Parts: sequence; C-alpha cells; structure tokens
Amino acid sequence: MDPILVTNNLIDGVLMGMLYSLVALGLALIFGVMDIINFPHGDYVMIAAYISWLIAMAFWVDPSVTALLTVPLFFLFGVAIYKSVIHPILGAEPLIQIAVTVGLGYVLENIALAIWHAEPKSFPAPWFNFGLNFGGLSISVAKLIAATVSVISLYLTHWLLTKTKFGLAMRATSANRLIAPLMGIDVEKVYSVTFGLGIALTALGASLYMMWAQTNPYLGSSFSLLAWVIVAMGGLGGVVGVIYSGLIVGVLEALGNTFISPSARLAVIYLAFFLVLWFRPRGLFAKR
Amino acid sequence: MRSNFKKALSKAASITIVVIIIIAIAAGAGWWWATTQQEAIPTTTSFSSTTTAATKPKISVIKIGLIEPLTGAHAVFGIEAKEAAELAINVINNELGGIKSLGGAKLQLVVQDAGSTPDNARLAAEKLITQSHPNIVIGAYISRLTAAVAEVTNRSHTILFMDGLVDDLTQHGWKYVFRVAPKASAHGKSAVDFILDMAKKKGLKVKTAVVLNEDSVFGTYTGNGAVLELIKNGVKVLDHITYPYDITDVSSIIARIKADNPDVIISVPYFHDAILIAKAIKSEGLHPMFIAAAGGCGYTDPDSIKAAGDAVLYYTQTYSFNPYRHTEWAKKLVGMFKQKYGKIPTEAGGIILYTMFTIYEGLEKAGQMYPSDPLNPDNLRKVFLSLDLTDSNSIAAQLYPTGHIKFLPNGDNEYAGTAILQVQKINGTLTPVLVWPEPQPGIQPIFPRPDWKPSSSS
Amino acid sequence: MAFGEWMSESKKYIIGILVVGAVLAIIPFATSFDQYTILLLATALIYGIFVVAWNIIGGYAGQLDLGAFAYIALGGIVASQLMIVYGITPWIGMFLGAAASAGLAIIIGIPTFRFGIREVWYALLSAALVVIMNNIFHMPQVLGSLDHYLPSVSGWFYLEFPTYENIYWFVTVALMFVMLINLMISHSKVGYYLRAIREDELVAEALGIDVRKYKLVALATYASILGFMGYVYVVLQGTFSYHTFNAPESIGIAIMGIIGGLGSIAGTLVSGFSLKLIGDYLRGSLGATIPGLNLLIYGLLLVIIGIFEPDGFAGIYRKYFHKEKSASKVSKK
Repeated sequence: MDPILVTNNLIDGVLMGMLYSLVALGLALIFGVMDIINFPHGDYVMIAAYISWLIAMAFWVDPSVTALLTVPLFFLFGVAIYKSVIHPILGAEPLIQIAVTVGLGYVLENIALAIWHAEPKSFPAPWFNFGLNFGGLSISVAKLIAATVSVISLYLTHWLLTKTKFGLAMRATSANRLIAPLMGIDVEKVYSVTFGLGIALTALGASLYMMWAQTNPYLGSSFSLLAWVIVAMGGLGGVVGVIYSGLIVGVLEALGNTFISPSARLAVIYLAFFLVLWFRPRGLFAKR
Repeated sequence: MRSNFKKALSKAASITIVVIIIIAIAAGAGWWWATTQQEAIPTTTSFSSTTTAATKPKISVIKIGLIEPLTGAHAVFGIEAKEAAELAINVINNELGGIKSLGGAKLQLVVQDAGSTPDNARLAAEKLITQSHPNIVIGAYISRLTAAVAEVTNRSHTILFMDGLVDDLTQHGWKYVFRVAPKASAHGKSAVDFILDMAKKKGLKVKTAVVLNEDSVFGTYTGNGAVLELIKNGVKVLDHITYPYDITDVSSIIARIKADNPDVIISVPYFHDAILIAKAIKSEGLHPMFIAAAGGCGYTDPDSIKAAGDAVLYYTQTYSFNPYRHTEWAKKLVGMFKQKYGKIPTEAGGIILYTMFTIYEGLEKAGQMYPSDPLNPDNLRKVFLSLDLTDSNSIAAQLYPTGHIKFLPNGDNEYAGTAILQVQKINGTLTPVLVWPEPQPGIQPIFPRPDWKPSSSS
Repeated sequence: MAFGEWMSESKKYIIGILVVGAVLAIIPFATSFDQYTILLLATALIYGIFVVAWNIIGGYAGQLDLGAFAYIALGGIVASQLMIVYGITPWIGMFLGAAASAGLAIIIGIPTFRFGIREVWYALLSAALVVIMNNIFHMPQVLGSLDHYLPSVSGWFYLEFPTYENIYWFVTVALMFVMLINLMISHSKVGYYLRAIREDELVAEALGIDVRKYKLVALATYASILGFMGYVYVVLQGTFSYHTFNAPESIGIAIMGIIGGLGSIAGTLVSGFSLKLIGDYLRGSLGATIPGLNLLIYGLLLVIIGIFEPDGFAGIYRKYFHKEKSASKVSKK
C-alpha cells in the first residue's frame, strides 16, 4: 500500500473524526445530562442539512456561513421538541424513550421525503472545495475548516461545562436530578437548554458537512449510529472522551476504506464498538 | 407515579406537538397537490375487458399497471417513472384518441408502491393483479423488486414490461416479460466504447483506467461490463473499486484513484455518491484525460447539476433514454414533460415514456392481428414479438436512443443501445448535451478534458 | 399461584391459541383463495411470529433487541443455501438455520451479558450486529453484491408453492407453536426469573437468580425461532442477498413489540399483525400519492402511543375492557 495514500486517508479520517465528534457531542450532552435516549440523533443532522442548503441557495452563500442562522434556529427547534415530545418521556423506561424518539425520526425523515423528494441536495458553488497540496498529500480545505470549527466548538462547550455557572448546573443535574432542585437549580431550564444545545450542535455539524457533501432524507441513519458509537466509546467522561473516540471512529473508517473495502467500513467500526463495550463497558475514557 | 398536574401538562404539550406535526403534514400534502397538476386516476372498478368471446368484444378501458418504488431509498426513480407514465397515458388517450384499432379504447393507469423490499413489491404485484386485473404491467426499476413482480405477473400470465436493467432479469425463463431498455452491462460497454472512439478520433492513446462502481447489483453488472470491454480493447485496468452507494465520505476512494493515476476513470454512480465523488475529484485536484460515467443516473441529471455545479463539468454519462433526440416526438414529449414537471425526463422517466409507447404500438397492432381476442396474453406476447419499430413507423422508436425496437424471444430489445450525454457550459449555464453516438446539432463532444494534465509516467 | 389455578389459566390460553389457529386456518376459504389477501395475511402473520418471538427477549427479559434480522436472515440464508447447493430439504435446513442463529446469539450473548451490557448499549450492540452481518455477507467471498434466487420448484419438499395458501397454513401452525412456547416460558420458572430480571437486575441477582444464564436462554430461544422462520421469510421474498440483513426493519420489529405491550402475547401478536396490515394499507392507498406519508403516520402513531399509553395495545385493552383485572396482570413500574 502506497504510504502517501495511507497518510492521506489517515489525515482525512482525523478531519472527519472531528466533525463526527461535534455531532456526537450533542448526543452525549442530551444523554449525559438528561438521561434521554435520543436514538435517531442523525435525523436532526439531516433536517439541519436541508435547512442549511435552503439558506445557502436563497442567499447564495457557502453552507458554512449558514451556521449563523441554522444554529440559533435549531436551538429553538430543540427546545420546542423538548417541550412537546421529550418532556413527557423524561424518566420513562429506555424502551419507551427509544420507541418515541424513533417514531419522531420516522416523522422527520418522511417530512423531508414529502417536501424535498429523494433527490440529493447540495450547494453547487461551494467556496472551499479545493485541496492544499504538500508533496503527494492533498488536504481538503473544506474539511480542514470543518475540523477547525468543530474543535473550537468542542472547546467552547468544554469551557461552558467546566467554567460557567450554567455548566455547573448542568453537571449537577447530570449527577443527581433529585438533589439538583434542592440546590436552587431550575432543572426544567437546564433540560430545555441542554436539548436545544445538543440539537444546535448537530445543526453546526450539518452546515459544515454541507460544505462538500449532500443531503437526502436517509442521511440521518448513518450519523445516528456513528454518534452513538462515539458516545459509547467515549463514555460519559466529558468533551475530551468524545474528541478521542470521534478520532478513533474517523481513523477506523479511513483504515477500513483503505485496507479492506468501503463496503466493509461500517463493519470495522462496529466490531471495534463491540470490543470496546465488551472490555470497557463504561467506555474508553470514562472517569469512573 | 407523577402528579396529575404534571401529567396533564405533558399531555397538553404533546397534543400541541401532534397538532403542529399534523399541520406540517397538511402543509406538505397541500404543497404536493399544488405542485402536481394531475392526480392519479382513481382505481375504480371499471369494466374488465379480458373476455374471450367469439364476437368482437367491446373494449372501453385497457388497464396498465405501474409498480414502482415510490417510498424508500429508491423513491427518486419511482416518482419520476410515475410522472412519465401519467404524461404518456394522457397523450395516448387525449391526443392520439386511445387505441384506434380497439375502437378508441382508453388506457387507464393503476399505480402501486413497490416500497423498498421484495416482499412489499410482491404484495403490490399481487394486489394489482387480483384487484385491478391489469392487461399489462410495468415495473419495478430496482432489480430485486422487478424479480419479485415478474414472478407474480408471469404466474398469472400477465405481460410485464421491465424497467429494471440488470442483465439476468431476462434469463429467469419468464415467458411474459419484455424489456425495451438496454441492459446494465451494455451501459458499461458504451461508456468504454465512447472513450475509445473519441480517443481514436483525437489521436490519443488510452493505456490505463480505473473502474469505480457502487456495489448494488446494477452497479456491479455495469462496472463488470466496463471492465470486460476495457480488457478486450487492451486497456489496463489499474483498479476496480466498489463502494456502497450510501457512502458518506469518498475522499479515501478518490485518494486511491489519485495514487493509481489512470488515464481515464469510469464511474458507475448512484445519485448521492455522484455528487460526493464529483466534488471530491475537484477538491483533490485529479486531472485525468477523461471521466466517463455509466448507468443512467448520477452526474448529468438536471438535479445533480443543480447540486454539484461546476464539479460535474465535462462528465459524460450513459443513458437508456435520450432526451435530446432530434425526432418530432422526442422533442414534443420532452417539452411536455419539462412544462409539466419543470425538468427534463431522465433515465427512469424516459424508459417509461418509450415503454408506454411501445405498449401503445403493440395494442394498436393487437387490434389488427387478433380482433376477436386482442388482450389475451399469449396473443399480446406474439404481437410484441412481431413488432419492428423504427423512427419512420412509430412514436416509441423516436423516443429510443437507437431508434429501433425489435424484441428477441427472451424479451430483450435486439437493437438496444444507450445515449451519452455530457455536461457542457452553453451560454454560461451548465447543460447536459447529447454527444454520442450522434451529437445533437451544433454540439461537439469535448474530449479530452480541457484540464487534463498528461502524467509523465505514462 | 396454586397448581389448579395454573392449570385452568393455561388451559384458557391453550384454548385461545387453538381458537386463533382455527380462525386463521379457515380465512383462505372465506376469501375464496384470493391470492393477494392470503399473501398479505401470510406476511402479516410472519411478522406476528417475529414480534411474538421478540416478546421473549424484549417483553419478558426486558432487553431491547434491535437485531431481529441478523437472526432471520442468517437462518433463512443457511436453509436456502443448503437447499440450493446440497439439495437438502428445508425441513432439515430450517432446523439447521435455527441452530446457526442460536449459535450466533450465544456467541454474541455470552460476552455481552457477562460484561453486563444493558439498556441502550444492548440496543445499540444488537442494531450494530445487523450491520456487521450485512457487511460480512456483502463481501465477495460470501454472497457478494448479487441477488440470489430460490430455484423455481414447488412442493412440500421445498416448502415452495405456486399459490400462497399452503405457506399461509404453515405460518399459522408455526405461529401457534411460537405462542405456545411463549406461554410455556411465561408460566414457567424461567418466565418468572426473566420478569424479575426486567424489573430490577440487581435485586434479581441478589435473590440468587443466574441473570446471565436466563438472559442467554431468552436470547437463544428468540434467535432460534427467528432463524427457523427465516427460510419462510426468504420464500415470501423470493430472493435473498446481503440486503436481507435489514437494519431498519429490525428496529421495526422491536417497535411493533413495544406498541403491542411488553410481556403480552396477545398484544404483541395483534400489534405485529395489524401494524403490518396497516402499513400495507397505507402504502397501497397513500404511498402512491404522497411519498412517505404512510411512514410518517406510522411514526406519529409511535410517538402518540409512547407518550400516552406506554403499555401499548395490551395496556389499552386492560384499561378499557378489563379494568377490574388490571392490578393482577403483569405488574409494571
């Protein structure tokens, strides 16, 4: 195997891994703080990608710019979903949570199919779709930007969680939802903000992804499973765990593509997932 | 146990979301109805016409069943097929006055959704056959769905026109199946023939190639067709890459092709991956002599051009349908389709257009050959086998890439062939134009790619 | 529960199963052998079997298994390949298919339960299993990309028929057996252990129940039923390929089970059967007009049931028809 090719693919895997981390972080927040199993997390990426595409087409700007609109929009969307669908199932059995969120995923998927049909949508004049060449290596600028923005957002979220009062409230609620209100924490507010934030992060991920990719009604499922794998591997050990396991997933995908076959790349990721769950049931980076 | 107050609150909240979602559905439905001018003809129980009376039967309605994947991952094809079928039937009934040899009998379309799995397709076929008694069925684009439908129609001796292209569909020994469209491997072969033909004309030598196909049955047959044709013509196939069409990132594949550094790339894409591949090839800065695609959907469809923009410039793609054929009826129907649905018909719609008009020609002939029992399936089969349609004697052939339709005993078209479209910049807009086998007037194929950087190694 | 009471109660259920079987068996005559109806009912019934089998792992043991088609497809493909390649009758092949699926379940189940993987992690693991199997069978060395077809033969030897009533009756009989297996588990020691595990694993363990063993028993039973029925599923499909490892459909099975009501045989049967019928009706009536509307309604139904009636059909039934009994039935948190 050509070493340049392998290096190239590994760099690509790292960049994609950062984006996956960003999407998974939203899920980790929702699951970690609220204990809600938001099973079809990827469907929010899919809807956000459509909205990003609509805005990009309307103003003829690169999809990355649309994040300025999609992120606040999806924060509100997340809060609305929380108030209407998620709130009634707080504390319900995992089975019920999965059934309700999967049902919601079906709804989102098929609204997208009814409105936009199945043809893929993509912005035809992206600003950053070119490569930087170093020797034989070629690095996509769009992905470089996406990875950079992802890392910055991950850091900001880390800062929010660890350095602010609200982050403290989130962590307190996560640790014990019954005691938190006694400490004067408005649990309801923490929950709606957490869910909104989680969905807003997927919107950011979607806008970045649309810089070079496409969306269609069935985009969500691949992101859902990847996000869950990352959360499972990272454990609920905070932002750092998510970053590392996002990296692992991105690199595993690149290795599977390179050395086995693109058709088998998911098998590689999921086999790793099995092994991690078996031998480190709390994830690779769990604190406890 | 939660308090009653909380329960009531959560119920109120969930009722709110349900109302919102219902409004969203209603809005979506309204939007859909507003953008679709013609509704599907309702499947009322009309006079069934397959009687075997000795006297000339009075036939007022001939039912054409259409089974297509209208939901699921392949809905993009099924929806366009349905649009084309509605248009064609409308033209046959209203402009051509129905089937004249059968006393102006009208065609009636009965649509069923094949879903995305064979058991759904089979259920749809059974439902169509037992409840609507269609005289002829068309379906179902995706090969494993088509096979499920064919098993049902063949058992009930109903003629099936298959719009699935996979080679082996006509090799199951089914008696009542026909296929007007070219098969998958012919697409792969055409893409290669085009490149070799152009290279010869321009005095270039194609030494190496990479074949890249999505790994569905269709993609596999098409890709293999291309590989065989390349080897036959002494071109070295450096790499044959397969990948799943729902792939989310193709960079590693493109990097691999870059390392192979071939003269030409033959790609057999689906929709989603085509956009990813075109954008990644542009971003990675690959500059091969040529990139040709095979297999009816991907780079040169109007929707793909809208989504991929400049990235698909100069790509060629083989099609089972040629929307730019310079014949009276091709121009007319493509124009009507464009007016009605706001886009030119592509592969899925085009196949249905000429298939429907082949059925029309057959029914006309059946009325002449078997006036006492024109809709008997065995009679119909003989009629279709006896057809020899050309540009001068039929609408169907005018819509067909090679302008010639004549069925072999296994149901395939003896004169099957593809057309090749290329994305070119015409007056500043990206336009798919016909370049092969006969370029449309005023158009020249652009070969090799203007950004080709001949590599020093080869 | 006294022995006499147990006898009378299980007698009641057995009579119920026989009545259900008898009613189902005469339907083809009632429809004067309308092929579409029979095929539709056969498909709905086989989903009924899948969901009733899922009830063992999901309903009794409380493990949210999303991997149904890993076992269905494996069993079906094993039996089909045995018939195609070696000419072995599916009457043997189906048992070998069931053994293969049970084997897979045990290989996956031992470490999974050993390391205490539960709840969402178990759900994800089982969902991932379908994708892994899909990818493995997709490799050129296994099934490759192509579709595989059963040979065009017919007769009881091959369990393939030109019309659908025979396979329908076969499915009906199989359904009765699967309901009986459910009943036996539900009324046996294993059933009580499983329910204890579902309610609280730690407490169950403290009571001396071998949690791992009984979870594994439930998983293997479920997998072997699915593996056995796999061949019939392939016959109804007419074809098999790596696509038969269908991840979204697997989630669908679990969802039908949840909607039916965990632990309720009748509820899961009604849910699997009727949701498949409703799904087909919606596809037939709406799928051709508004793409996806059928699945959208399906999703809404799920959200509404999940929020308002977490006990599913069984809960609705108890609430409106058997108010006085609700306390004595399956206790829920």
